Amino acid sequence: MAFLNPARPKAERAPAGWEQTRRRAYLAGLLPALVVLGGITLLPGLFLLGVSLTPLSLVNPGTVFDFSDPLGNYRELLRDARFHNSVLLQLHLSATSVGLQLAAGLGVALLLNVRARFFEAIRAAFLIPMVLPPIVVALIWKILYTPDVSPLHRLLEEAGLPVDSLITDPTLAIWAIAVAETWQWFPFTMLMVLATLQLIPDEPLEAARIDGANRRQVFRHIILAYLRPALVVCGLFRLIDSLKAFPLIYVLTNGGPGTATEVTNYYGFIEAFNFSYWGYASAIAVLMLGGVFAVSWLVGRLGWNEVHHD
Amino acid sequence: MALTHEFSRRRLLAGAAAFGGGLLLPGKAPAYGGAKPFSGVTLNVSTFNAPFARILTKWLPEFEEATGARVVYDTPAFPVYNQRADLELSTGGAAYDVLNITFIYSSRWIGAGWFTPLDDYIRDANRTPADWDVEDFLPGLRAPESDKAGRLYGVPWTVDTFISGASRFDLFKNAGLGLPDTTDELVTALKAVHGKEKVAGFVTDNHYGWTFVPFLQAFGGNVFRNPPDDLTPVLDTPEVVAAAEYFARILKEFGPNGVLSYTEDQALQALQNGRANYSAIGQTYLSQVGGPNSKTASTVAYSPVVRGPAGRFPGVATHGLGIPAASKNKDAAWAFIQWALSKKNTRRAIVEERYASPTRRSDFESAEFKRIATVNGYDLSEIIASAVDLAARQGHMKYRTVPVYPQVDQQLNKAIANIVSGQLSPKQAIEQAQAGSITDLRRAGVAI
Repeated sequence: MAFLNPARPKAERAPAGWEQTRRRAYLAGLLPALVVLGGITLLPGLFLLGVSLTPLSLVNPGTVFDFSDPLGNYRELLRDARFHNSVLLQLHLSATSVGLQLAAGLGVALLLNVRARFFEAIRAAFLIPMVLPPIVVALIWKILYTPDVSPLHRLLEEAGLPVDSLITDPTLAIWAIAVAETWQWFPFTMLMVLATLQLIPDEPLEAARIDGANRRQVFRHIILAYLRPALVVCGLFRLIDSLKAFPLIYVLTNGGPGTATEVTNYYGFIEAFNFSYWGYASAIAVLMLGGVFAVSWLVGRLGWNEVHHD
Repeated sequence: MALTHEFSRRRLLAGAAAFGGGLLLPGKAPAYGGAKPFSGVTLNVSTFNAPFARILTKWLPEFEEATGARVVYDTPAFPVYNQRADLELSTGGAAYDVLNITFIYSSRWIGAGWFTPLDDYIRDANRTPADWDVEDFLPGLRAPESDKAGRLYGVPWTVDTFISGASRFDLFKNAGLGLPDTTDELVTALKAVHGKEKVAGFVTDNHYGWTFVPFLQAFGGNVFRNPPDDLTPVLDTPEVVAAAEYFARILKEFGPNGVLSYTEDQALQALQNGRANYSAIGQTYLSQVGGPNSKTASTVAYSPVVRGPAGRFPGVATHGLGIPAASKNKDAAWAFIQWALSKKNTRRAIVEERYASPTRRSDFESAEFKRIATVNGYDLSEIIASAVDLAARQGHMKYRTVPVYPQVDQQLNKAIANIVSGQLSPKQAIEQAQAGSITDLRRAGVAI
């Protein structure tokens, strides 16, 4: 980095040495990838931002390049109670489902972290929900949650414990979606944690046990310390993905009852595809994008994804 | 280019004439003189999934054989269809050659210029035989498929009227009751039959922007002040609040577990399997309770929708087949529409497939339709006809074909769900729907 130091006397500057040449070579190698990346991610992002600054409505062609009030959609969002409600619901759903996925994934991974053929076979079975198409998962849970046809409801009814429909209960509907989401995605965390568990060296564990640490202390101070980066990465991935929750809500509740499960992503969908307010929906998408960047930055800033072995 | 154009036009005219002749023998007609006017054309057709759409699926090979066109036919569920078609039309896409013009979107889609006027095709003797007779389609059903100048954009293929019925009328009879005629009688009857033999008293589907409005109007309310000229929402009236309270009550007290999640198909299943008794819903669905696949066919009874303090307001909706403005195969598309809705095919649907939603007057008045529309002694054709007449006379369906109804429709869906699920009182929910509708309409540029 010294060659960038402006205080360094001109005479002492090294000529374009091997390091600079290497940097240029790296840049030249990277450039095509950066151009492609910019083309497929940055340009659509800029387009989204541009659309969000217009009142674009597909039924009104005159709104396409109308930049007369660029912040109009954002001002409207500040006043839109339905949008505010959707953000709160989004936070609720994301926190609940990601929390449950991490807990379930960690728990199952710890149970399956045994070197035996039987458990290895079971591990594969646990991955099935994750590889199912989202709409199939939604249908499975639609059946489970529909009292008329649900084996779960029938079982409970025969046991004398009838349960009202969960997806039409304004308090429980969001939990019902979180449970279905957890069922589908906890294997992701399980897989990552299992892989990390198998990389933990035996020495620190043995040393701790020799020093008299009990199982809880070993887990708390050694295993969890090793697992933390994996859990943070899983959490971040799942958090970002949870913001895109759609098929489960579309099939199970359609955002209802009322607006009880109308999370931000779903609200944006309604504005764009039911009412054709593309400008407004783009503004919602831009804010969601900002939220994702903010979370990612915060995680990196707090250093939760770094390993500390001291 | 000129030669190709001339050639194709000549070929097209000859083919169209041949096809017109072929229509005289639908189902069996080989192309006239062996010509296949649309050989090599792939026609992309989409409507929402409905009985007539399923009937056409069976008959498509006949059209393909007669014309040489290959038909790609797509029939997703109603909401999926609407979203897909709306997106495709609004972006000027040419992916479809024939699309259904959905009732609630008709004004918006036609007004935005997204469909092709059909009058020239209909008047052209080379493209349409005189006995195809567009006047035979009920005027009340052609109106929503036309623009203000009276140009027709969609040919009606189905009519759905809001009627009532009891799948287990035997339970009503056991309680010494007939089918209710008023909103008050309905509550009395539901109290008497609900829960008997584990059958829920009432069911309807959760598209409340359709199923609630007949009650809203029966109580003296309306959706807009004076549609289509004055689109100021008028949901926050005492009449609408009373109607919402009433409707939410019958859903909550007499509906099956989870009734808020019931789609039309689920409601139909519940009625056909005898898990729910009384319903107020479109005849397209309710008529199937008397069909061969229903466990309650022998006990079903039908009546017009109940009247309230302000009268009887059955919903009437129709859907039409139209040609998107961006279609690249408009002649073939018209040939398809003409074939699908020819007199012979619409009658054949009734005779062979027991189709219960005709749109031609001649079908409506036919002995064949009377025969299939009479179930357990109840003449559905009479109930449907009187509902269509009433709607035409009262003009109470004008609220539904304005471009911004989809927004208000959703506000009503949410309002009823909010009341039934106990999230809001009827007054709060209706006030919220009113405020939400005003916001949505302003955003759509409606002057309020």
